[in-house]
Formats: sequence, C-alpha cells, structure tokens
Amino acid sequence: MVYEIAGLRVRIENKYEYTDAFCKEYLAKEQNLPVDIIAKVTDSEMEAEKQASPNFSDGYIENICLYRSLCLQIPAFKRMLMHCAVLEYEGKGYAFLGKSGTGKSTHTKLWKRYLKTPTMINGDKPILEETENGFIAYGTPWRGKEGWGTNASAPLCGLCFLEQAKENSIRKLTPSEVSGRLFQQILMPNEESAAIATLELTDKLIMQTPAYLLRCDISEEAVKLSFEALTGLKYHY
Amino acid sequence: MKIKKGFILRVVGGENVVVPVGELSKQFHGMINLNETGAFMWKFFSEEHTIEEAIDALCAEYEVERERAAADVQKFADVLIQNAFIE
Repeated sequence: MVYEIAGLRVRIENKYEYTDAFCKEYLAKEQNLPVDIIAKVTDSEMEAEKQASPNFSDGYIENICLYRSLCLQIPAFKRMLMHCAVLEYEGKGYAFLGKSGTGKSTHTKLWKRYLKTPTMINGDKPILEETENGFIAYGTPWRGKEGWGTNASAPLCGLCFLEQAKENSIRKLTPSEVSGRLFQQILMPNEESAAIATLELTDKLIMQTPAYLLRCDISEEAVKLSFEALTGLKYHY
Repeated sequence: MKIKKGFILRVVGGENVVVPVGELSKQFHGMINLNETGAFMWKFFSEEHTIEEAIDALCAEYEVERERAAADVQKFADVLIQNAFIE
C-alpha cells in the first residue's frame, strides 16, 4: 500500500498484516500515483532484527525493519529520523531528547498536565525535514511504546536535552555541545551519499535551532524552565 | 601512510566528525571527533604521505616548532595504526 509520511509518498511492501493496521492513518488517498520511496525488508535484515529483539512477532520485527528501510532512504529528500519526543504548542514544535530513561516521556507528560494545549506530534521517532524556512517535524506511524503521536507536523523551534537532577536548571547549549549529544539520537546511514546528506542536515539543524540542556526533576518548576526557554513566553502557575 | 577509503569527514555544529560508510561501516562503528589539527592531519593522510611530509605540512600550516609538530604527528599516526584506519 502507498502511504503519505513526512510529506513523501511511500510504498510499504510488508508481508505481515501488523503494518497495515499500524500505518492506516497515513494511507494515501491516491494509491496509483508514482511514489518517492519503496520501503522493504530482506530476509537477512529480518533475521538480524530477530536476534536483536527476540520474543517479538514476525509482524512487529518486519515493522521495525520497514521503518529503518524508509529512514535510510529519506536523507536524499532532505529528511532524517531523530529519536526524540516532539510537542506542538501554539503552532511551534519543540523536541525533547535524552538517552532512554532520562525522562522524555515524564517531562512531556508534565507539559500536557500543566499546559492546556500541547499536541504530541510524536513521542519517539519523528522525521525532520529541512526547508527554506527551517526544519519541520512530522508525526509518523512509529511513535514509541506509549503510542503517542498525531498525523501532523510543526515547524521545529527548539531542542531540549534532558538530564535528571535534584535541582532544576536550564542553560543554552553551544553548537559543539549539541553536536556531541545529537549524534546519539540520529540514524546514520551506511550508504555514502545518505551519510553525507545526514551529516549536512545535522549541521544545519544544529546551526539553525536553539538548543538547551534542562536538568530537572518531575515538578512544575521543570516545566516552567523548559517552557520559558523554548517558547520565550512567560509561564503562569 | 594513507587512511582507508570510506571515511567521511564533515564539520557538524563546528565539530570535526568522521563517520565510516559502505564496507567500512561494518568494520567500524560509531564516529570519531577530531580537533583542528587532527582534522588537518586526517585530510593530509587521506592521500599517501610520509610522516616527514606530515611534519613539514603541520609546521607550514600552524607555525609550530618542528619538535612539537613531530610529536603531534607521531601521536596521531599511532592512533591511526592502532585503530587499523591505515590501508
């Protein structure tokens, strides 16, 4: 079937039904027009993923491999996968990043609790597109274990790296600090032209997007700090 | 001495970053960060050159004392060899 994901027409060649249901919100109305990308999985990729993720169904394994296939092809279209959670607030997108277990889900949950209108674009694996007016973050069917996400997009206006701490603090990161942290959260293709495109996209992302380090607990004060730094707005308790 | 083909060096967020591609990416994982002189030497050894030539080039580029340049180049060459980055 053909899907519209991150502004691209993608034909997904799945064998297992799992992915049909998984991607159904993204089904393209026009199934017969040309596609930008064909996502498919080889037997050896399936086998390798089974080794890495035992105890999962073949449909699930295939589904993970299909997203990797898609994401390894998107750099040619000025797009890349970034492992993060993206919230949209009053028309602007903000990405929250951190190693697994540093509290991305917790912190974004706090935004939803204390701020009335944020929308979760994607809780885990959004696609970013470079445009003339900066980067856009797109929701995708792949949205992490919580399943948080929307078939929507927002201009990416800030990055917020999270670390757990007893006392809340926030500071702006320099481009070189962001560079070190960001590489852990992107998918680097092995294929040369895709790798070059990814490096160039990453550089532009770093140079164009303000980034902060939030050291935080799980209090409302943590939300105030990230909200004020990212949006430039005043937080009202 | 020459660095294997299949590494890409790019400036990302002001940092010199090297990543392996193609066949090399199966052999090497992750990425390498280089400082300014490291990046200079990486580019220099991307073509076939001797250690002596690298010392000359480093002296010319950065106006450092020969002894210091020799130590830097030798240290860099050791890292390249230890990590099997050399053809």
